[in-house]
Amino acid sequence: MEEDIDTRKINNSFLRDHSYATEADIISTVEFNHTGELLATGDKGGRVVIFQREQESKNQPHRRGEYNVYSTFQSHEPEFDYLKSLEIEEKINKIRWLPQQNAAYFLLSTNDKTVKLWKVSERDKRPEGYNLKDEDGRLRDPSMITMLRVPVLRPMDLMVEATPRRVFANAHTYHINSISVNSDYETYMSADDLRINLWNFEITNQSFNIVDIKPANMEELTEVITAAEFHPHHCNTFVYSSSKGTIRLCDMRASALCDRHSKFFEEPEDPSNRSFFSEIISSISDVKFSHSGRYIMTRDYLTVKVWDLNMENRPIETYQVHDYLRSKLCSLYENDCIFDKFECVWNGSDSVIMTGSYNNFFRMFDRNTKRDVTLEASRENSKPRAILKPRKVCVGGKRRKDEISVDSLDFSKKILHTAWHPSENIIAVAATNNLYIFQDKVN
Amino acid sequence: MLGRGLKRKLSDYEENMAGLSSAFDSSRNLPYSLKRQLVLNMCLTKLQTYKMVVEPNLHRSVLIANTVRQIQEEMRQESSQQPVNVCPIENSLLMVSDDDMSSAISSILKDLDFMEDISPPTSLVPAGDDEPKSPESTCLKLEDDRQDLKGAECVFGSFEISNSTSYLKDLAIDDIFEDIDTSMYDSDFCVPPLMTPRPPSSATEETLKTFPSCNSSSANNIPICRTDLSELDHIMEILVGS
Repeated sequence: MEEDIDTRKINNSFLRDHSYATEADIISTVEFNHTGELLATGDKGGRVVIFQREQESKNQPHRRGEYNVYSTFQSHEPEFDYLKSLEIEEKINKIRWLPQQNAAYFLLSTNDKTVKLWKVSERDKRPEGYNLKDEDGRLRDPSMITMLRVPVLRPMDLMVEATPRRVFANAHTYHINSISVNSDYETYMSADDLRINLWNFEITNQSFNIVDIKPANMEELTEVITAAEFHPHHCNTFVYSSSKGTIRLCDMRASALCDRHSKFFEEPEDPSNRSFFSEIISSISDVKFSHSGRYIMTRDYLTVKVWDLNMENRPIETYQVHDYLRSKLCSLYENDCIFDKFECVWNGSDSVIMTGSYNNFFRMFDRNTKRDVTLEASRENSKPRAILKPRKVCVGGKRRKDEISVDSLDFSKKILHTAWHPSENIIAVAATNNLYIFQDKVN
Repeated sequence: MLGRGLKRKLSDYEENMAGLSSAFDSSRNLPYSLKRQLVLNMCLTKLQTYKMVVEPNLHRSVLIANTVRQIQEEMRQESSQQPVNVCPIENSLLMVSDDDMSSAISSILKDLDFMEDISPPTSLVPAGDDEPKSPESTCLKLEDDRQDLKGAECVFGSFEISNSTSYLKDLAIDDIFEDIDTSMYDSDFCVPPLMTPRPPSSATEETLKTFPSCNSSSANNIPICRTDLSELDHIMEILVGS
C-alpha cells in the first residue's frame, strides 16, 4: 500500500519510564468498539485502558480526532486455585465490545478462566440539595430541617466509571483463548483449548457447552482449539480453528452439541515445504470473519490465508508474512518463538488485511492490488506526524542500505496484537508495552 | 573432561541447544537422521521442562508430542524396513559421504566450542526413573554414573531406537497431560502409548542388541574420529549412537 500514513504516537498513561518494559504493562489485547470512537487495551497486569477519540473541532480541521485516555480500571486480579494449587494469571486475553444500546458502553474482558462484563458510563452531573443529608453526606439533624426542597442536578467534572456487571466464572477447565459476541447481542461464546461454551449475558451461573473435543482418553489428544468467532450476521453460525491448521464451521441449529461441523476447511500440505516443524507452523493462531461475512482469514506462523466460506478445500488467497523465517525454524523452535500467536485483522471494507511480525514490524496486504508493505512501530523511527517508511528485510546476498538482515531481527520485539478502525484508516498496534496509533493522512 | 563429575549448568545446556539448532538451520549437509535426532532431543527436553511446571501449556505440549510421535513413526518405519541383521544407523552413516559428515561435525563442534567440560550433557531422562513426577528426579541433572563411553551407554540413552519401545514409559510423557487434566470427573490419565509397543521378535531384539556395538564400530568407521581426541569421540557417540 503506497498511501502515505500519518503517524501519531500515543503513550499509555500508565507507561512508566520507557526504558523499562515491566511485565505488568505488556499489552495483551487491543480492540476498537463498533463505531471506532473507543479503543480498549488489556494488559498482562489485568488492567483495561480505554481511549476515546476526540471530537473533531472546527478550529483545527486539519487535526483529526486523537485518542486520549478515557478510563482505566482493574478488570482481573491474580487468583489462586487452591484445589489445583495453581495460580490463575490476571492477564487479559481478549476484550470484545458490545454494540452501544444506551448511553453506557459495555465490553467483555477475559483472562484464562473468567469472563467479565463491564459497564463504562459517564457521570457529569451530581445531585445537590438533599433534605436529609448535607453536602458531605452526613445526616442532618431532623430538628434543623424546616423546609422541603427538591434536589437538583448540577454539572460536575466528567467522571468515567467502570463497574463489573456480570462475572461468568467456573465454566472452563482449560485456558480461555477467545470470546465472541453473537450478532443477536444476547449471547456470546467463550472458547478454551478443548471446549466452547455459549452464554446468555443475563445468566452467569450456567452456560451451554456447544463444542467439546476432549477425547475420552487424554492420551489420544492430538488437537486443540486455538480460536473461535461468531459469524457477523448469522447468529447460528460460528467457526473455530485448531492446532492442526483446520477450521470448522458449525451451525447451532443442527444440534445442541456442535461436534459435527457443517464445513471443514483444510488445505492439503505442500510436500515440498515439509519439515519436522510443519505441523507446529500450521497451527492457526487467529481466525477472523470478514465484515461482509463471506470470508474468513486465518493466521498461522508464516502466512495469512483468506478462505471463501463456499470453498473448503483450499484458501483463495495466501500471503507470506515472513517467509525468510522458514529456514530458521529450528532456532525459532528452540527459543519458543515458533509458538508465538499472531493475530490478524481486516480493514473496514475487507480490502486490506494486517498482521504483525518480529522486530516491531507489521505487514499490510492489499487484496485488490496484491501489493504489500512492511512497516515498523518504534519510537526511534516515528516522530509525530511523520510518514511511516516502508521497511524491508534482506534475505541473503547484498544488503542494501536501510534493509535489515534476517539475523539482525529482534525476536523479542513481536507485534502480536493489532486493531483496525471499523470504518476509517486508523490502526492501533501494540508493541510489547507501547501502543501506537497510526492514521491515514487525508487532506 | 569426562569423569570429573561436575554438574553441568542448565544455561550451558541451553547454549548448546541454541548452537545445535542454528547448526541445523544453517547447515545443508547435516544428515537427515542427525537433524531428526536433534529435533527429537529438543522436543523431549521441552516436554521434560514442561513436566516441572505446575500447569504446562496444553497447546504447546500437544504440538510437541505430535512432533515426537511423527518422528517416532518415521524411525520405526525406517528400522522395520532395514534388513534384520544390519544396524540401520550404521547404514545411514556409511551412506553419508565423509565430506558431509566432517562438515557436519565441524559445524557442530564449532557450536560446542564453548563447552569446556566435555562431560556428558545432562541426561534428559535419568535411568531408572522410579518416580517420574517428583521434581528432583526429573530435573536436568548430570548422571554421574553414566560415564561409560564404550558406546554401550550413549548419553542420550533413552533416545536410542533400541529403547524406544520402553523409554517412552520411562520418560513418562503422559504426566504432562495428567497434570493438566485435574477435573475430578475426568478419568484418570494413564500411560500414553506414544509409540505402540511392538510384539517382541527375536529379529528385533537382535537388531536392538547390536546397537551398542554399532556405536563403537561406526565411530571407528568415521575417519575423522581419533581416539586421542576423546572429546570428538564422545560427541560422535552422541550423534551416532542415538
